[in-house]
Amino acid sequence: MNRETKALPLVAAVFITFIFTAPIIWMVMAAFKTVVDIYAVPPVWVPDFTYLENFKVLLSDNWPFLLNSLIVTVGATVLSLALALPAAFGLVYFQFRSQNFLADWILSTRMMPPIAAAVPLYMVFNGFGMLDTIPALIIVYAGFNLPFAIWVAMSFFRNIPREIIEAARVEGCSWVQTFRLVALPLAKSGIATVATFVFIFAWNELLLALFLTTREARTFPVVISSFSTVTRTYWELISAATIIQILPPVIFTIIMQRHIVSGLTMGAVKH
Amino acid sequence: MANATETSDVPRTAVRPADDERNVKLLFLVPAVVYLLLLSVVPFIYSVYLSLFDARLTRLDRKFFIGLENYQNLLTDPLFLKAIQNTVVLTVSSISLEIVFGFLCAKVFLSLREMRTGQVLRSLAILPMMITPICVGLMFSYILNPTLGVANYLLSSIGVEGPSWFGDPTFALPTVIFINAWQWTPFMMLLMLAGLVSIPSSLYEAAELEGAKWHHIARWIELPAIRDVIIIGLILRVIDNLKLFDLVYVTTRGGPGDATELITYFAYRQDFRFFQVGYGSAAAVIILLMSIVVTTFAVSFLRRNQR
Repeated sequence: MNRETKALPLVAAVFITFIFTAPIIWMVMAAFKTVVDIYAVPPVWVPDFTYLENFKVLLSDNWPFLLNSLIVTVGATVLSLALALPAAFGLVYFQFRSQNFLADWILSTRMMPPIAAAVPLYMVFNGFGMLDTIPALIIVYAGFNLPFAIWVAMSFFRNIPREIIEAARVEGCSWVQTFRLVALPLAKSGIATVATFVFIFAWNELLLALFLTTREARTFPVVISSFSTVTRTYWELISAATIIQILPPVIFTIIMQRHIVSGLTMGAVKH
Repeated sequence: MANATETSDVPRTAVRPADDERNVKLLFLVPAVVYLLLLSVVPFIYSVYLSLFDARLTRLDRKFFIGLENYQNLLTDPLFLKAIQNTVVLTVSSISLEIVFGFLCAKVFLSLREMRTGQVLRSLAILPMMITPICVGLMFSYILNPTLGVANYLLSSIGVEGPSWFGDPTFALPTVIFINAWQWTPFMMLLMLAGLVSIPSSLYEAAELEGAKWHHIARWIELPAIRDVIIIGLILRVIDNLKLFDLVYVTTRGGPGDATELITYFAYRQDFRFFQVGYGSAAAVIILLMSIVVTTFAVSFLRRNQR
């Protein structure tokens, strides 16, 4: 096709991209504005990007919560993978009755709305004195992402040619060795994808964090949501916090866009 | 232990390979299964149990069995019925928007897929779907704010007075729907793009030779190619919408009045604002039942098609 036939789609694509990025860009700009400029009418279109006061104020008070988010998210990702990878391997390579049933059951637990488990989890952690602690959040986030992690990991293990696994078995590898020395290295990029998705899901979570934390263990999304109060909304803090909060998902989306479709559909659709 | 006497003539070190293999296999599967049971099935069963009680979060030692009364009350509670209605409206309209605009966007990026600029624009256009939902909500609260928002300023510059988007009962739910669709249209677009790229270009050429119009191509070539991915997207989006919470939590808090009350937000408030955990649990059980019905229906439809 020649250049002319591309002109119209290109204009459309620029327009579409504008629609989906302009709100984000506008919020990013607010983070570099003074409170006065944020409230200015007509708006200050381009701020002074050297004005970093909002970030300083935000982080000086709230860096512990950003750290909480990071610890919870990394912890949940590691725990979730540690449980999901062996299970996914077993579900793909072991032959046993109820194999399909087990896989379907795991998938079905993904349908469970977090709100249906929130009160019992609150009570259990209350009983153990673990409310408002980081381990409680790690345990819960790992659990809620487990079905997803297992299913996506299964789709990556299935892509390993069966002969390779069988050859390893014939050569005398135990299942543990086959898993560690053959399957894991071959599914490396898939594992990275699963890990990043679990990371982002845990990073973005709000509902369960509201239930399970009150002060010390609050995550960054909980803190951000508290900047909007009945009496005043701290837009300068919200915008600065939003930049920090959306940075990991944005970087992830740009780097791993090839895997997003198969990830979000749990391996059902390949791109 | 009972077997220990029976097999005592076998040397203790010689574990039979089959048994050994079985234990190793269990080692792979059991931790994850037990973890899932403890973290989602057991809490859920407890929620069902709790939904049969008049229970308060502040005094859980004193709860009273009331049978199905919570469910009866829910089904006559105007706020809950409104929440169900809003959730259905939200789910149907935002998914419809996502499918229509997702398809149009997919067509645009499909025709640019060999072009570097097209690829760069596409990777920017998909940013909304992965970013934190509360940030999306706050972003639009800022843009649509009646006093300092840029949206109403731009409208006023062309002589239109913008409404209070979240504060006006007629605009609140459509605004939430619009934001939800904004965030998830890129997802539908990517799904459909994945389906569309699988169509061989020879099929398009043949259709053009036969003199097919664009809607013939859409109906007979493109739709069949993307039908399965649309259904998968549909299932996931319905489940997500039944769980939708963050967006209304940071924008409207269910208001004004009951205009944007959604079922998950309703259950959250019963549990943690009014501490009526029995009542809240009953609502949560109904949400789960709704997800199960929708998913079972959609999955069986999908499987029937694939055969």
